[in-house]
Amino acid sequence: MKTTSISLLSSFFLFLATAFISAQEEETKIKFSGELKTDQRFLYQSPNSWAWNENRLTFRLSKKFRNDKGKFHTEVWLRNIGLPEITTSSDLYNKGIVDPYNLEIREAYVQLYGFLSKNLDIKIGRQRIAWGTADLINPTDNLNPYDLEDVLDFGRHRGSDAISFDYYFTPSFSLHGTYIPIFQPANMPVGVFADALSPEIVLPPPYHLENLNDNIDMPKYTLGESSTAGIKLKGFAAGIDLSLSYVWGRDGFPTPSYNTISPGDNPGGLNLDIQSTYFRQSIFGFDMATSIAGVGLWAEAAGFLPEKEQVMTTDMTPMFPGSPVPVTRDSIVLKKEMFFKYVIGADYNFANGMYLNVQFLHGFVNERGRENLNDYFFIQYEKRFFDDRLKTEPLQGAFIVSDWNNVKDNYALIYSPEISFMATDNAEITISSAIFAGKGNNPFAKFADYDMFLFGFKYSF
Amino acid sequence: MKALISILIFLTTTLVATAQNANDILKKMDEVLYAPKDMTAKTKIIITDKNGNEKTREAVMKQKGTDMRLFRFTAPASQAGIATLSLPNDVMYLYLPSYAKERRISSSVKSQKFAGTDFSYDDMEAKSYEDKYTAKLLKTEGDVYVLEMKPRSPKSQYSKLISKINKENYYPVYTEYYDKGNNKIKIATYVFEKIGNYWNPKEVTMTDLKKKHKTTMITYDVKYDTGLSDEDFSVRKLKQ
Repeated sequence: MKTTSISLLSSFFLFLATAFISAQEEETKIKFSGELKTDQRFLYQSPNSWAWNENRLTFRLSKKFRNDKGKFHTEVWLRNIGLPEITTSSDLYNKGIVDPYNLEIREAYVQLYGFLSKNLDIKIGRQRIAWGTADLINPTDNLNPYDLEDVLDFGRHRGSDAISFDYYFTPSFSLHGTYIPIFQPANMPVGVFADALSPEIVLPPPYHLENLNDNIDMPKYTLGESSTAGIKLKGFAAGIDLSLSYVWGRDGFPTPSYNTISPGDNPGGLNLDIQSTYFRQSIFGFDMATSIAGVGLWAEAAGFLPEKEQVMTTDMTPMFPGSPVPVTRDSIVLKKEMFFKYVIGADYNFANGMYLNVQFLHGFVNERGRENLNDYFFIQYEKRFFDDRLKTEPLQGAFIVSDWNNVKDNYALIYSPEISFMATDNAEITISSAIFAGKGNNPFAKFADYDMFLFGFKYSF
Repeated sequence: MKALISILIFLTTTLVATAQNANDILKKMDEVLYAPKDMTAKTKIIITDKNGNEKTREAVMKQKGTDMRLFRFTAPASQAGIATLSLPNDVMYLYLPSYAKERRISSSVKSQKFAGTDFSYDDMEAKSYEDKYTAKLLKTEGDVYVLEMKPRSPKSQYSKLISKINKENYYPVYTEYYDKGNNKIKIATYVFEKIGNYWNPKEVTMTDLKKKHKTTMITYDVKYDTGLSDEDFSVRKLKQ
């Protein structure tokens, strides 16, 4: 019944949109553009393992309707990504293994301006709904799923199949709404950072992990279970851009809900089965941006309130075969209490072409619960030369503290200087380094063995 | 004693008259430059380095009054779609298609070069000269007034501008820009044409004297008074 409702709703909007489009005499030409990008990385540490291999062809098609009544836009990635993992001769018959590639529709939507009312714009299709005023890391940007494939590409999200609208009360005061019928989880890092955001499983001696299985319970594809919705009120007053937002959705990261521990085949060996779910939550957001005395200032905060307390049950019954009752233990993974992630930041352009950007972040994308949020200090210093053809970023990176009571054992440092050169108007070469240091249970502290050299080339057409 | 008073009265009157004339000239220049209610145009920007190598940028531009401007690049491919929106009180937004949202930019960007050209954001600002500068008439020569203009804001990157204004039609034909150390750093030359009732700066060339680098901005397909509203200069339109 609910699936039928979704279909009917979608059909209704598609019908309206189609009728609207057909009413327009489309006269503008399709614009075709894109990029060819290569991204290669290898580790400094011998034997200099290849850390990343990506060759991406981005295609963009867009077409504006007559009299600026709307537009169609799509962006597709055709990629050769990863390294061939050939283990048997039969793999050589599989071109997908010999030469791994994938095709990804990042966006494909129709946007109609002045739909039904001159103040209403709607957008239907796969779209990126980017929220927040902070630079790259936005605690309020929770409608699209995180795309964590490349953990060094902070803030990347995938597009969602959605219907969204913007209603403009005045040119500077608007209401945005989004409905996403199907839940999409975040995709996790690949390559050398594959385990970066996975929690570490530590067993007391003499136990060791022999087998690990995990199952994820995806939300049912029904209106109530799989939907995400968001609303945002945005305005401008006294020189300040402000917004308030609310999202009713699911956390994009799986949370363990039921673990089963059973004896392994070897002494001390344990098998662990983890069952995870995506919990529902409400997210209350606020952001602002302004400029005071030439300094750009922004702040963004999001309060996350889980719908229920997240309890993890650990079932050890298989360890005690003689027990007449199930041997289980419950522990709270996440309390039903609001926790806040926030960013404050500033930037300044100096007269000689220098640019400085600093940000403080409390709570990274994968961190949950008041007591688990770390502090991140980001800095970016940029200087351009030769008519902006050469851009240097000698000071770029982050300092992370996971425990202020013992900083020397609970910190991480990322240093990533970068130089990019515009060889022609449309061809850019980039070389950079990513150097990691740190201690403690912090995702970035785990990267200490992954110092790497990065080479990029991008051609726009 | 009477003679001294007469000289003082003469000097004061002359100074007041000169200052008034200079400000009148500035006001008239603003009236010429910002006479249209609004303007829509295409722009071709040719950047020439000291070796004579040329790069070209293309953009579409909308302007209303003296403080609303929307500028959107259409070429080269690496910059196509990037747009800036300038609003009153130094409120500026940047739209980068790859980020799918607008970004408020700090007013310190005004001292920066505009998209690799020899114009700064400040030079590109559609704000009346009278609001930005105080003027002094240095002299008249041939068919031009020579004005010295000093920025009202101490945050300006310039200490002064010396500008030649056409006596008959009050449009600028030549401007020198001086840095805080009073060194001449840039020169702008203008070619105006009359479209309907308005004078249009069809070609403006800015030369960076130190770098021996110049940028020529050619404006074409100009349309005046098409009825642009404040809504056309909103974040909504910037993102479209």
